[in-house]
Amino acid sequence: MKLIVVGLNHKTAPVEIRERLAFNNKELIREGLRYLLNRCGVDEALIFSTCNRVEVYSYKSISSCNLTFSAGEENRLENSIKSFLSDFHKMEFAEFEKYLYIYRDREAVEHLFKVSASLDSMIIGEPQITGQVKEAFEIALSEKATSLIFNHLMNRALFTAKRVRKETRIGENPVSVSYAAVGLIKKVFADLSKKSVLLLGAGEMAELAIRNLIGSGVKDIFVTNRTYERAEELAKLFNGKAISFERLKESLTKADIVLCSTAAPYYVIEEKILKEVMFLRKYKPIFLIDISVPRNIDPNCNNIDNVYLYNIDDLQDVVDSNMLERRKEAEKALQIVQEETDKFFQWLNSLSTVPVIVSIRNKAEQIRQEEFEKFKVKFKNLSPEILNSVEYLTHSIINKIMHEPTVALKNNCEMKETLILAARRLFGLDNEEE
Amino acid sequence: MGTIFFELALTFYFAASLLSFVGILRKKQDFDMVILILSFCGFILHSIYFFYRYFKAGQAPIFSMHEANSFFAWGILLVTFLINFFGKVQIINFNIILTFSFMLISAFFPRNVPILKAELKNFWIGIHALMAVFGIALFSLAFVFSILYLVQERAIKVKKFGGPVSIIPSLEILDKLNYRLICWGFPIYTLALIVGLVKYFSLLGFLWDPKEIWSFLTWLVYLSIFYLRVKSDWRKKKAAYLTIFAFLLLIVGFFGINLLTESFHKPL
Repeated sequence: MKLIVVGLNHKTAPVEIRERLAFNNKELIREGLRYLLNRCGVDEALIFSTCNRVEVYSYKSISSCNLTFSAGEENRLENSIKSFLSDFHKMEFAEFEKYLYIYRDREAVEHLFKVSASLDSMIIGEPQITGQVKEAFEIALSEKATSLIFNHLMNRALFTAKRVRKETRIGENPVSVSYAAVGLIKKVFADLSKKSVLLLGAGEMAELAIRNLIGSGVKDIFVTNRTYERAEELAKLFNGKAISFERLKESLTKADIVLCSTAAPYYVIEEKILKEVMFLRKYKPIFLIDISVPRNIDPNCNNIDNVYLYNIDDLQDVVDSNMLERRKEAEKALQIVQEETDKFFQWLNSLSTVPVIVSIRNKAEQIRQEEFEKFKVKFKNLSPEILNSVEYLTHSIINKIMHEPTVALKNNCEMKETLILAARRLFGLDNEEE
Repeated sequence: MGTIFFELALTFYFAASLLSFVGILRKKQDFDMVILILSFCGFILHSIYFFYRYFKAGQAPIFSMHEANSFFAWGILLVTFLINFFGKVQIINFNIILTFSFMLISAFFPRNVPILKAELKNFWIGIHALMAVFGIALFSLAFVFSILYLVQERAIKVKKFGGPVSIIPSLEILDKLNYRLICWGFPIYTLALIVGLVKYFSLLGFLWDPKEIWSFLTWLVYLSIFYLRVKSDWRKKKAAYLTIFAFLLLIVGFFGINLLTESFHKPL
């Protein structure tokens, strides 16, 4: 066991615990990293802290010449990270112990890849997390808390996130009501910058939706309200025009998108009125969103040609089915995570001693054979005896040259990984595999 | 020897259609660039085939079933590229499948150069046939977009968006394309009918050719689409229904009458 992650997230821990263990700013993270490196004896570390999770990734290379950690060493490392969390945040360990999860080696790598690809997020597929992972990596990098292993690991994590985003549809369907509304509107209208919106009444959700519409290019905004002053207020907020409530029918004739969210306990827009409106607007399509409860638009309006009416439940259904879609895509993404984890461990294994020695030797032997063949072609009339002794000579030269590096790689436990990497570089082993 | 270009174009179209099909099933559009390039390669080869046949035979390659279907497929693809380039609407994945289907139909008919009756060996007859088929190609795209319009409209109305519906363009775009295609197709088709009629009179005198009557009927339906769009509330959804109806009439003319009746419109 070398790689370990200790952490908690929105699934395992309530916000009261998460907020107390969070590393709220960069300086705190830097401090934590220094603590980990200097006092917990880990070789590489990374702290990932968002509002939904706190995770400490650490790596310790095997310090003795044993191939694995002893159980005692394993526990010591885990305990030192746990006590780091409790010391650093001045919290009793018992207070948060039951919320913690610990993943080791393969599971840890898998977990990191899932996190960065937003498969472990509260809202699956939300894109911010990848940026947050990158940021955490940059902080650790600047604090020199990462090196060979984590630099590669984090790059693979970001690459995995990119692959998941590209190869699956995980981020494609909106999963918030106001974004879903905009998505639906875009199924009817192509260019929102030429469309006008009528806001009927006010409300938080309506405001959100309006802001998203503005973000999608809508420019013409009309606001109407029972009290004209309120309409003017809102119009100012969105850079729109206030229209008196008496002119509702007229404004419906002009608007392409209607957001309705009043407190009226009856239908503000009745089927009969809308039928007249549709005739007046020559059946140009109109998209109505009714987010008021009780509903303000007669549900029968949806039966009129070229009228598209969505109420709050319809929007929620769309969001739910999009969420379901994302979960399905997440299954596919897990496949990618597995592949990338495999690749990472292949890389990690290539860093161990024996395969490096074997490939250096193979390479040397290959060169020797090639050169010997050339020699034989060049000096055709040499006797077999001489040829044999030349071959013997090449063999022993190779063996003599190879002896010191082999011994060094086998015995030097202190800086084993550095040496292996150096050897791979010096003998050009990585170039061949590309 | 020229048929090698046909086979190659068919192969490119096949690859592009396969990718499109996969893309539609996956509900992703990340292959679109590859599909576009593959189709374009096919299109170039197809064009070479077309001109090669034209110059070798000295007559427009439009008179046999093989030629007509091949030109039809070519026309659809040409318009698709134009829409893609000028209209900035990504529709290649639906259209390449259509192109490939007609190429496949074309592939099943004999490839020999048809021997024309003396009275049909005329430059204007060739123009008439080319324009008619190109007009029909435009109409057929209008037909495809009308179907997509109805599918998308239905999904929005019943509020269910499962399956490949998610990559269909917005209603506004589909309606605009539908209208534009008929706008372009109608005059071309009209001109084709006029040229045909004039030549027909001058060559054969007055005759009731079934194709002619049918074409005139179809033309009337397209005219009514125009009229109703401008004049009344027959737009959007209803226009889509009408476009589908008109195209079905047209296709009956294109295949049914051509193959079943004994007239000089029967392909060679």
